[in-house]
Amino acid sequence: MNFIALKMLVGNRARYLSIVIGLTFASLLITQQSAIFMGLMTRTFGFLTDTALPDIWVMDPKVQYIDDIKPLKETESIRVRSVEGVAWAVPLYKGLLKARLSNGTFQTCNVIGLDDETLIGGPPRMLQGKLSELRRSDAIIVNDIGAAGKLATVLPDGRRVPLKIGDTMELNDHRAVVVGICQVQRTFQSQPVVYTTYSRATVFAPRERKLLSFVAAKAKPGQDFHTLCQRICKTTGLAAYTKDEFKKLTIRYYMKYTGIPVNFGTTVVLGFIVGIAIAGQTFFSFTLDNLRYFGTLKAMGATDRVLLQMILLQAALVGSIGYGLGVGTASALGTLLGRTELSFLLTWQLLLVSASAVMVICAVSAILSMRKVIRLEPAVVFQS
Amino acid sequence: MITKYLLPILAVLGIGFAVFTVIKGSKTIPPALPVVKPAIPPFKSSVAGAGIVEANTENISVGTLIPGVVTEIYVSIGSKVKAHDPLFKLDDRDLWAQLAVRRAALRVAMASVRVAKESLADLKNQFALAESLSDKRAMSIEELDKRRYAALVAEAKLAQVRADVSSSKAQVKETLTNLDRIIVRAPRDGEILQLKIHLGEFAPAGITQTPLVLFGNVKPLNIRVDVDENDAWRVDASAPAVAFLRGNREIKTPLKFVRFEPYVIPKKSLTGDSTERVDTRVLQVIYSIERSDLPIYAGQQMDVFIESSEPIPASGAIPQTKQTETDEVKS
Repeated sequence: MNFIALKMLVGNRARYLSIVIGLTFASLLITQQSAIFMGLMTRTFGFLTDTALPDIWVMDPKVQYIDDIKPLKETESIRVRSVEGVAWAVPLYKGLLKARLSNGTFQTCNVIGLDDETLIGGPPRMLQGKLSELRRSDAIIVNDIGAAGKLATVLPDGRRVPLKIGDTMELNDHRAVVVGICQVQRTFQSQPVVYTTYSRATVFAPRERKLLSFVAAKAKPGQDFHTLCQRICKTTGLAAYTKDEFKKLTIRYYMKYTGIPVNFGTTVVLGFIVGIAIAGQTFFSFTLDNLRYFGTLKAMGATDRVLLQMILLQAALVGSIGYGLGVGTASALGTLLGRTELSFLLTWQLLLVSASAVMVICAVSAILSMRKVIRLEPAVVFQS
Repeated sequence: MITKYLLPILAVLGIGFAVFTVIKGSKTIPPALPVVKPAIPPFKSSVAGAGIVEANTENISVGTLIPGVVTEIYVSIGSKVKAHDPLFKLDDRDLWAQLAVRRAALRVAMASVRVAKESLADLKNQFALAESLSDKRAMSIEELDKRRYAALVAEAKLAQVRADVSSSKAQVKETLTNLDRIIVRAPRDGEILQLKIHLGEFAPAGITQTPLVLFGNVKPLNIRVDVDENDAWRVDASAPAVAFLRGNREIKTPLKFVRFEPYVIPKKSLTGDSTERVDTRVLQVIYSIERSDLPIYAGQQMDVFIESSEPIPASGAIPQTKQTETDEVKS
């Protein structure tokens, strides 16, 4: 019987293809859009992903998300270090500074100032040079995308010469020398990322009373992060978050105050509707086309149960093929465009979500078709 | 054939590729390790402070009383000197010239004394001669008086030129003292930490921004620890303290308490901007570095941890929500 069902499905090639294509597009749209959304959201806290060493981030209680810098007094890092259970605490500067390029244009850069002594919080992957070279005078480390893109020198014939080790640039009227090229997560605003030491960053930064952006702390082994966060809050009056809490805080801000989730959500819902409209409808008309065969089978004595099984099998088959092609295409697109500004992050949760969406589409189509088959009178076959 | 096998195969490949993408995407890059491991507090509960190493005499910036051009420097950077050893000398030619003039003036004054003495003797003699006359009529009274007063005036003149001599002597002595004063000497035993004055440079009198000579006794070194005023109450003089050298946490030294600076000062920011507003105030605690065999130098920064037995009071701190309320009221 199952063989007949498959034969029935594959035999009607046009219908079969259009069902599969409909499902493919539905799963492609759902997977790709939500993967881009996920990618975009992880980009908002890309700095935290790069700076994975500290367990706890201490900041002003009014900070709403990672780029919302409310500077602290410089002694706060020492105060955090005084809290019981803290292994170390280092100051960190993060801010947007203007860089002047050799051709005279200005470019805003995301400048990160690391603790002078330990250089904790450095980029996870150095492509050229070493992190310790930051100790040299006026030294900065630039990310590869920034160096080859926005910070590159544009020649008169339009060619771009990427920033390389030994090149100098101006950061807020101060000389800066590139001593290394690193690779970091792309930033949400896609500015070039510049690493330097904390004290140099405070020299680069415009004069302000307070300049310390964050205190990054590590817990002593065996400490419970949440109790430690509370202790830091109580002692210093500042807000302390674990890395994951800080990520959540940032995402929550973007979810609440930007249109991004609504935009992507709409596309995902549209994908779902397109899936139901095309695939469901085609599947339904496919069943209608084959009603004669079902009638014949019924007349030959096949029970409703067997017929339903056949429909379910057909639905499951087109569903899996459509899903497989969809997520495959989505992943291929993501991989192809992975080197560009496109953010794409496919997680196993997303695979499950799109799988269940496709399953719902197939189930809806199957239920519609089943109703027709159950109500079918075997006599129909002989009417025409 | 195509529809029969190709699509399912493609679908399986698609799912496989998606799973591969998921696995690839979920791989995390290990974080960059610190270039130098940070110092970890060696006590269960401690107060942290930023320390700066200094001489146990504090760092003395030696000044000069008399401005002038430096002609001689007797020490080099790092020289160990005893108290009153000469450090440098200013141009002294004018003083030597002055000394010669004043010595000549002294000789003139001394010569005048002899002149005055002889003339006094002469006049005294004449007066005595007149008085010894047996016949008083041989000389008029007027003439006698004239001789008496002439002798008295000569006596006064002698006293005057004698005073001139001591004045000249004092002036010579003044020049000699000035000649000594242009040699700047070490105030006490110690070491030259900085030598910012060179031969031919002008050394102004008074306080200079960079010290002419930075001087201090560095055996043993002291460390000046800044503790935030909010944590100042937790510092106990008798508690053990440990200092870690920046750059290598293996280099650490126990500290011996010396004194508290009784006045809490505004923290000096490293940005060096004079218009900077005060950030916070810090209590300065002075410790003595017990180990002298370590490569620690005056002026270096160290991370200091002072053991604190006091638990941090939960009630003492303001709850976070309450603080935000007060902030809003203020704004």
